[in-house]
Amino acid sequence: MEPRRNFLAAAWEGLGELVRGFATTFIHLFRRPITEAYPEYHRPLPERSRARIILTRDPDGDERCVACYLCSGVCPVSCISMQSSQREDGRRFASWFRINFARCIYCGLCEEACPTLAIQLTPHFETCQYDILTLVAEKEDLLVDHGGKNRDYNFYRHAGVTAVGGKGEHLQEAKPVNRRSNLP
Amino acid sequence: MPTLRIDQREISVPQGTKVIEAAEKLGIMIPRFCYHPALGSLGACRMCAVKFMEGPVKGVEMSCMVEAADGMVVSTTDPEAMEFRRYVIEWLMLNHPHDCPICDAGGQCLLQDETVSGGHGLRRYQGLKRTFEDQYLGEFVQHEMNRCIHCWRCRRFYQEFAGYFDYGAMQIGNRMYFGRFAPGPLESPFAGNIIDLCPTGVLTDKPSRYKGRRWDLQRGPSLCLHCSLGCNLVGSARYREMIRVEARFHGAVNGYFICDRGRYGFAYANHPDRPRQARVGEEAAPLDQALKTAAQRLGQIRERYGPGAVAAWGSTRSSLETLGMLQWLCQDQGWRGPQFFPQASLARRVKAAVARLDTGMAVSLRDLENADFIVVAGADPVQEAPMLALALRQAARRGATVAVIDPRPVFLPLEYEHLPVSPGDIDLCLNLLSQAARSEEAATGKLEPDAARFYGLLTSTNLEDPLLQERLLALGRKLQDCLRPVIVCNTDMVRETTPARAADQARLLQADKGQAGLFYLLPGPNAYGAALLAGREEVDLLAAMEQGGVKALVVVENDPLGSCPDQERLLRALDNLELLVGLDYLPSATAARSQIFLPTTTVFEKEFSHFINQEGRLQQAVPLHQGGTPIIQVGQGSHPPRTFLDAIPGGEPRPGAGILADLAAALSGEPAPPTAGDLWDYLSGEHEGFSQLASLTASALGEGVHLLPAEAQEPAWSPEPGEKPPEPPAGQLELLLVDQTFGTEELGSYAAPLQKVEEEPHLLLHTDLAADLGLAPGEQVALLLPGGEVTVRLQTAQNMAPGVAIMPRHRRLHWQKTGDGPVWLPPENIKKLSEPL
Repeated sequence: MEPRRNFLAAAWEGLGELVRGFATTFIHLFRRPITEAYPEYHRPLPERSRARIILTRDPDGDERCVACYLCSGVCPVSCISMQSSQREDGRRFASWFRINFARCIYCGLCEEACPTLAIQLTPHFETCQYDILTLVAEKEDLLVDHGGKNRDYNFYRHAGVTAVGGKGEHLQEAKPVNRRSNLP
Repeated sequence: MPTLRIDQREISVPQGTKVIEAAEKLGIMIPRFCYHPALGSLGACRMCAVKFMEGPVKGVEMSCMVEAADGMVVSTTDPEAMEFRRYVIEWLMLNHPHDCPICDAGGQCLLQDETVSGGHGLRRYQGLKRTFEDQYLGEFVQHEMNRCIHCWRCRRFYQEFAGYFDYGAMQIGNRMYFGRFAPGPLESPFAGNIIDLCPTGVLTDKPSRYKGRRWDLQRGPSLCLHCSLGCNLVGSARYREMIRVEARFHGAVNGYFICDRGRYGFAYANHPDRPRQARVGEEAAPLDQALKTAAQRLGQIRERYGPGAVAAWGSTRSSLETLGMLQWLCQDQGWRGPQFFPQASLARRVKAAVARLDTGMAVSLRDLENADFIVVAGADPVQEAPMLALALRQAARRGATVAVIDPRPVFLPLEYEHLPVSPGDIDLCLNLLSQAARSEEAATGKLEPDAARFYGLLTSTNLEDPLLQERLLALGRKLQDCLRPVIVCNTDMVRETTPARAADQARLLQADKGQAGLFYLLPGPNAYGAALLAGREEVDLLAAMEQGGVKALVVVENDPLGSCPDQERLLRALDNLELLVGLDYLPSATAARSQIFLPTTTVFEKEFSHFINQEGRLQQAVPLHQGGTPIIQVGQGSHPPRTFLDAIPGGEPRPGAGILADLAAALSGEPAPPTAGDLWDYLSGEHEGFSQLASLTASALGEGVHLLPAEAQEPAWSPEPGEKPPEPPAGQLELLLVDQTFGTEELGSYAAPLQKVEEEPHLLLHTDLAADLGLAPGEQVALLLPGGEVTVRLQTAQNMAPGVAIMPRHRRLHWQKTGDGPVWLPPENIKKLSEPL
């Protein structure tokens, strides 16, 4: 069994700690605060921080999203749904695209899965709403008019399909094979 | 039986088995692109390389090209073989475009899977990628040739397996091109299979283009309802819409493939006008309430006129559950019926056919492929049951002789002998063939007394055309040396005696050779079940309705206004009714006319259903989804509505059997109707053909059960085989109503993809006859039928029976003006209306 300590010594020690604590607090009254007064002050967040999702556009100003269903497939909470279809010019696009932000956990897997850099997470995190249905964002709410983090990439320039550009006109492509000629 | 070791496991396989197959039997899937069990080995893709450690072959070799041999030791995981396969993938990917996100094969792509599993991620080669121009290949197949890896599967299927030659390979080496000479729709009705076969996204499904990724689809085993063969399918649904259908392997029925009618016919389930709401009069009503009203009004009619004043009319496209429940309801309530066929003569033909099938006689499509002599009597396989044509082609590839006895200008993708005789002469042709197949003394000496007596009764009247007669006798002589003959017979446009005669001849062949098969085509996916349920008694609801004996008619998943050959008479009969209750899932004319309408579900929705195909095989279709209006229709193409509901929009329809059970309960005032299990018991007591049903296990149902009896119900030989069926009055034409691959089959005619490819309906006459009548092909003619006039475009053919006029039961043609039985027309009834276009 532990020997019983002197009661007075223990009280004296406690009092000392108390005074030290108050002293620390008192000193901090005269220091510059490290907290920021949100919402009066908005801290600039790093560009890669993960919050509200946007759908970006390619350098030609067209929608980047080809509705390939990869983001909805990878989403761990199934908050993304869409319907892919074909535009008159042959481009694949989302006829509707919906993200339920009430369900989104901002994990960023959709952004990682996106092969066309269309879906991107932005630092804009203030998405609180009173009505839960207003957290369901449709395509027109998500689509922005810029390229987001990467403004140069254009998926269709690499794709090798005729939806944008003819055969052989994409990057690193040879002219189409002439199948009526046996010449090399 | 060579025994070999693959990855330290021993297996014995039949002689001639390739190593890749042997490994598959052990559960080891060696990566492959060009090898396919149905198409065989080619050795084009170099992907299935394995290392042979011991035995007759040594080193890295293609497992699809090496036959298993004794003493072989094979390693699929040897570093050398793995390295080899890694390089193969890398060079296959050299030219593959960077477009998986916009490719429909993404997620179900063999190339994608094997690239990822092989660890290839970065393209090291920096040169230019090869490109090709794409082609328009019709409404079903989308072509994107840049993605091709030259496995040859499409071309091998299209030309070698299916026997059509408008699609193939061109050019050499790295520039190999798979396509047509000129863009245009693919001619083969099996073209859709090249989509399933393509290991990457060169050939993708056009109607379901971009509609969803494989992982998003609700998939399940289903059945094809577009003819009586009962091909197995995998159905896919997404967002309450049927997206796509693919072939499901069944060793005895369809193998690995299906026809395009089965592949794209499913779209009737998404029809925009599909009735999904119960209706009383003009008012939409909840299903329960409409059901109660129906029961109440049926009860009133029963009280006023007796139970026989209510009749039921089903069809052969309903599940066995629905048909059985309808039968039970009729017996329970004392109703008249049920009738399952549109006309009495068809019912008699189907019953005659079904009564003659037994385990010793019936053959499956797979058995048919192994036959060495096939007589096709009164059937046009490509038009009526396309997969039969594919099976015939496989038989022909193995050396079988195929003889088609049919008045139509039959086309088959194989070498065959066509004898264009009128339907009345088919019996005679079968007799003559039988006689020519064996000499008199051989017949009388070897045959059993019964068979010999039958053989003696065969007449020896000759055909009118001596050339045909000679060809028939030559065929008969060929038949003498054959060991496994099969007779294929249709029940559609033939005489009533023909199904029985076909069976007689098959039994004669069996008595003679010890082995012979019989293969019928029936009208509808569950015609076998309907014929068993219909029993021996004849129901003629049309006559009963005309006489006024029937006051209320319950029409279950049936459209008499579309299928009954005498529409005017039917309309008069329907006018005599006080109540017409319709149950259906199609927006049919009968459904629209019903005073009380109750919506039912398709085979893809809500509950399990079972169908019996033409060879007596009971098969199961698993529900894929819970029904409801497709989201694409609810949202009208845009995003789905942002509302919360506690029920699925348009999800009210229920399986026909369930609605009928509730109707029975409401009628009798007690919840007495049999449940699914009881229904099987009831059916097994109802007909001996169903006797196995009571003891079936769930797993047996999943695989399909052959319900055939050991002994046919109708074992007797036809008493007078020499008797000739009624002949047309001299100088008159027989009008034949026939089926086409696309456009005539009921369910498929509601499917939008099939509507795009169906041919324009036309009247077909023999070239000489048309010339005699002063008619030219392409002209619009008026055909005067017993029930009125039909306007149709004329076509002529040389290779058809001379005394017939052929018209399809096309959905765009108002053909329902003929009446039951053979229709004979004087040639003056065909009148010219306009010049050819």
